[in-house]
Amino acid sequence: MKTVSELTDFYYKKLYPILQDLEKDRKVINSKLITRCGITTFIAIILAVIFQKNHFQTDSFIFLGVIYIIAIAIIYKMLIMDYTKKFKDHIMRPLIYAIDKNLSYNPNSHVSSSHFREAQLFQGKADRVLGNDLVKGKINDVSIEFSDLTVQQITGENDNGDKNYKTIFQGLYIVSEFNKNFHGRTKVLPDTAQKIFGDYLGHILQDTTYTAEKLVKMDSIAFEKEFVVYSNDQIEARYILTPTMMEKILELKKRAKHPVSIAFINKNIHIAIEYNKDLFEPSVFHSLLEYKIAMEYIQTLHLAIGVIEELQLNQKLWSKL
Amino acid sequence: MSTPLIILIVFIILLVLMYNSLVAKKNQVDNIFASIDTQLKKRYDLIPNLVASVSKYMEYEKETLEKVTKLRTQANKTNLSEDEKIALDAQVTSALGSIMIAVENYPELKANENVVHLQHTLSEVEAQIAAARRAYNQAVTDYNNALEQIPTNFIANAMGYTHKQVFEIPQEERKNVDVKKLFES
Repeated sequence: MKTVSELTDFYYKKLYPILQDLEKDRKVINSKLITRCGITTFIAIILAVIFQKNHFQTDSFIFLGVIYIIAIAIIYKMLIMDYTKKFKDHIMRPLIYAIDKNLSYNPNSHVSSSHFREAQLFQGKADRVLGNDLVKGKINDVSIEFSDLTVQQITGENDNGDKNYKTIFQGLYIVSEFNKNFHGRTKVLPDTAQKIFGDYLGHILQDTTYTAEKLVKMDSIAFEKEFVVYSNDQIEARYILTPTMMEKILELKKRAKHPVSIAFINKNIHIAIEYNKDLFEPSVFHSLLEYKIAMEYIQTLHLAIGVIEELQLNQKLWSKL
Repeated sequence: MSTPLIILIVFIILLVLMYNSLVAKKNQVDNIFASIDTQLKKRYDLIPNLVASVSKYMEYEKETLEKVTKLRTQANKTNLSEDEKIALDAQVTSALGSIMIAVENYPELKANENVVHLQHTLSEVEAQIAAARRAYNQAVTDYNNALEQIPTNFIANAMGYTHKQVFEIPQEERKNVDVKKLFES
């Protein structure tokens, strides 16, 4: 697999003409955005003044505010539509193919919601699953798929019958075939109790707060500090989480720089990284040529696709061949 | 209800909870040991086949092969205690380890399909045993801690519970089975 620096090279050399093209588009979008938002704001202010003069009720002002926000959102969406498509087709796709030709990329699809639901990594009901940028394929004979995912739970309804949502997960969701046979379910979650309350009290809390699976105390101090493990099979959890695997997961967490949750279920490993933002979208207010912006795309892709090598998922055990 | 009665009830509830937690810890140790036993038996079953396959070629390791066979016979005895099984496991692990290393010196063996298959099966069983040992050690640590900590130590004493021995995890096992290396061989 190509390294991050090789990919950076590819981004700035091979994709440079398209990047320049996109940069021109971006500048046009920015100026259009300023004018159109300016006009909309101007109209909104005039309307507000008229409302005020005619002694309209507070509801009317709220209504005006909502319409204003919707109008701005529509203007923004319309303006960046072509730009986004161009970015995904001419930057994201070549970048993914540069990492591995066997991968397929679908900007309008996402990892299936059933995958998210079966892993049960996050508290709350997955009532609405949104996402895009699905990458799917086989690397070294190991199936992998990942995408951007936003999962929300309905918290209630307002007076107009509109549903209110609370986000339970937003970030990168990876599902890959695991290299060992197992039958139970094992989860590796970010540890908060032990960090706050220390080992003794933390363990007691972890032992009592979770009911579906039992707490598994691992024999690696560094791993125990960062993660908490739950499983319905104490031995299988350790069969999966060997000392090497624990080290690799720690390295992955360090590279991801965001909270990492992992589930081992139904022959697969699920990795959820909470970036808390929509990934793989073109930057509108910063140039795509900026190193920091470029690195965000490259590093995230490299991390996701690199999971197979990083966790040695291609080293299958004899019985799985 | 009078205060002494409430205190007595609370005391009894606490006693029952502590008693139950101790029993649960002991059962956890026993359950995991039963799983180790199954895995160990799987490994012992591989030994005759392994010895038969390699003994034709291995001239210099005759002693180790005989030792492994002897250990297997010992392990098949029915009345072994947990501690004896733990001690036997350590010896078998080290003897099998040295046979596996020795296989590397015999090109005929490395090319022998049966031996390669045995090697892989063995490495998978070893991985299962390693996991079970770690689970057992954690269960024993929890159990032993309860035996020493106040106030469970008083009840444990009354129940006649004694300390249990943990498995020594060999250094090379901490590094885990290197499957890749096996495939290169």
